[in-house]
Amino acid sequence: MTGRSDTTSPRSPTPISDYGLLGDTRTAALVAGDGAIDWLCVPRFDGEPLFGRLVGGPDAGTYRVGPARPATIVKRHYRRHSATLETTWAVGSSRLTLTEAMIAEVSGRLLPTTLIVRRLSAEEAAVDAVVDFDPRVGVRHRRPRVHHRHQALVCQWGSLAVSLSSSPTLAIEPGRPTLITVRPGQPITLVLAVAHREPLIHVEPAAAWKLLNEDEDRWQAWSAEIDESLPFREHVIRSLLTMRLLTYSPSRAPVAAPTTSLPEDPGGVRNWDYRYVWPRDASIGVSAFLSVGKPDEARGFLAWLLHASRLQRPRLPAVLTLHGRHVPRERELPGWPGYLDSVPVRIGNAAAGQHQLDGYGWVIDAAWTFVQAGQRLYSETWRAVRGFADVVARCWQEPDAGIWEVREPAQHIHSKLMGWLALDRALRIADTHPLPGRQRRRWQETRDAIAAEVRVSGFDPTAASYVRGYGSRDLDAALLVLPLLGMDSADSTRVRGTIDAIRDRLSAGGPLLYRYPPGRDGLPGTEGAFLPCSFWLVQALASTGRRSEAVELFRTMLDLASPLGLYPEEMDPATGAHLGNYPQTLTHAALVQAALAIRDAPL
Amino acid sequence: MDWAGWALFGLVATTALTAALTAAQLAGLTRIDFPLLLGTLVTEDPDRARIVGFFMHLGAGQGFALGYTATFALLHHATWWIGALLGTVHVGIALTVLLPLLPGVHPRIASQRAGPASTAVLEPPGLFALNYGNQTPAVAAVVHIMYGVVLGVLLQPH
Repeated sequence: MTGRSDTTSPRSPTPISDYGLLGDTRTAALVAGDGAIDWLCVPRFDGEPLFGRLVGGPDAGTYRVGPARPATIVKRHYRRHSATLETTWAVGSSRLTLTEAMIAEVSGRLLPTTLIVRRLSAEEAAVDAVVDFDPRVGVRHRRPRVHHRHQALVCQWGSLAVSLSSSPTLAIEPGRPTLITVRPGQPITLVLAVAHREPLIHVEPAAAWKLLNEDEDRWQAWSAEIDESLPFREHVIRSLLTMRLLTYSPSRAPVAAPTTSLPEDPGGVRNWDYRYVWPRDASIGVSAFLSVGKPDEARGFLAWLLHASRLQRPRLPAVLTLHGRHVPRERELPGWPGYLDSVPVRIGNAAAGQHQLDGYGWVIDAAWTFVQAGQRLYSETWRAVRGFADVVARCWQEPDAGIWEVREPAQHIHSKLMGWLALDRALRIADTHPLPGRQRRRWQETRDAIAAEVRVSGFDPTAASYVRGYGSRDLDAALLVLPLLGMDSADSTRVRGTIDAIRDRLSAGGPLLYRYPPGRDGLPGTEGAFLPCSFWLVQALASTGRRSEAVELFRTMLDLASPLGLYPEEMDPATGAHLGNYPQTLTHAALVQAALAIRDAPL
Repeated sequence: MDWAGWALFGLVATTALTAALTAAQLAGLTRIDFPLLLGTLVTEDPDRARIVGFFMHLGAGQGFALGYTATFALLHHATWWIGALLGTVHVGIALTVLLPLLPGVHPRIASQRAGPASTAVLEPPGLFALNYGNQTPAVAAVVHIMYGVVLGVLLQPH
């Protein structure tokens, strides 16, 4: 049934949109259309890549299970409302199907923390397939120490060990593709277990397959709780599932994306590590989950925010690790070729030290959303929110890096607006929570001062639009949040003018928008259209009485998702290629909010 | 055994430890919070949890003080440096045994294995409680050694 193949056919780079996401809410894997897991960090999202081929080249490891010869994908989809991925290839007159998932619910049972189950099955006739298991660890792609135990292949690197078992038993050796034959009615199940600083736990393939099905039932039950009246419900559910898969369950922290250094500009230097948590994304998640009937997820986001920000409170860090620690210093991985030769490949993130005023606005708005939903803030939470509002009242006139994390601080109008939002929402929360009169007056005065200054210095009367910064004529797509703030009336000429100007002048063609005029950020190279901005435009249109335009735009945006309904951060407007880290929590959160805005807009 | 000393100075040492830990938290050195961790065993509200937890922590501190008192009695010596040595052992056990085991029994601390069904919102301490900040082991060591020194200085060896 098995044989060995000593030739590894070179693979051309897989388009980002061809990758599917497997996840267990602690880490995630990216699977290419040929069945190769080219990215998996262990034991957590921000751990070391076990399979790093995505940006580390062929030596960085992969785990491919798929047809032995080039084959056409005839169907690839997630099983309904679940995280189980199914890929079917046509091989001659036969069909070969790979069904795979990571097991999310391992708590309370003797199961490994990371468990990947993959099953190959054939229809019509026997099909030749290949298993190419080549795990590597570390910057230098260290090979493992290998031995066989309990009919499983065990690979070890110090405190990290992985085991690969199969039913029927296959003679698999790391780094040497193994040819197998899959016969109809005789599926082959492979189980990968990971142990980090703990003993390996072996799971029988039959038991693992049962776990996969149980997990699938759980995800379906989770999805069934989502508001049934949502427009575009199937797309919203896929986005919510993606957001939940990218939320680290032990701390409830949502990672921005499970990858590092997928390029915003192929071949360029705009390659960043997104395996960390931005309080901004977490805050958007609060309102997204609350609004679809998932209060536990929203509570988890808020709890993480409060615990994570405690070390540096009242200052709100721009980015944190999964456990709320300082993000490692940004460094480059020598010798890593990058995706499409986009170097450097970076780990760590330099945005950690930035001052981003807008973050306070997102976070306090999330707390306000929570209060609006009838929840009361604990005194500790309210103390933290008051501290954040005080920072805004004190520092709003200082330049900051803004939402786009430019490396040279500037006076960003969007940041000022979010500062206004922070104080306004804090004052609204104070209507039901205790606040000394002096502090209230200070916030009110500062909020009004911000509005006055922004209306004078941040508005270009000739363009009838708010602009990117003081004295600038550039636009900024982040200003699309304007109608949601309530600083200016949603039907005012300033708000409508800003929306129209952004739609016109930042258009990247079709529904796509640049976040600001391309290249105006002090970095070499250019970048693609920024997908969350298009969903913010949908939201802005829906909130200003232009529902039908919003719906039309939203539909167009749905066509730009990957075949599996996933979105990256950016898209090449010319080719439609996905760019940047993938899949991206912010884009999916923006999609959910856009759908909610359409739901709430008057017909 | 210095029973009267144990009854009084156990409370003094635990209060000093808690105060030092709170000061370290306020200074932004760590997010570890023993009263919160203990109090959330019985209530979800962090403010109430801290009050309940403070008294639970006093009780736990009293239990550990019993061990210190018995050790001093066995050694027939009670000095600041023996107290500091015992404090070092104490913090070693707390960081490597007690805290890592806590997620197994605490209903509101998530474990590193938590999945989507988990509603526990307190983050797990992790190895050496490093999840609560890089300086947590150092802070925990200092406050526990201080606890031992206080007992070493104040308790009688018999």
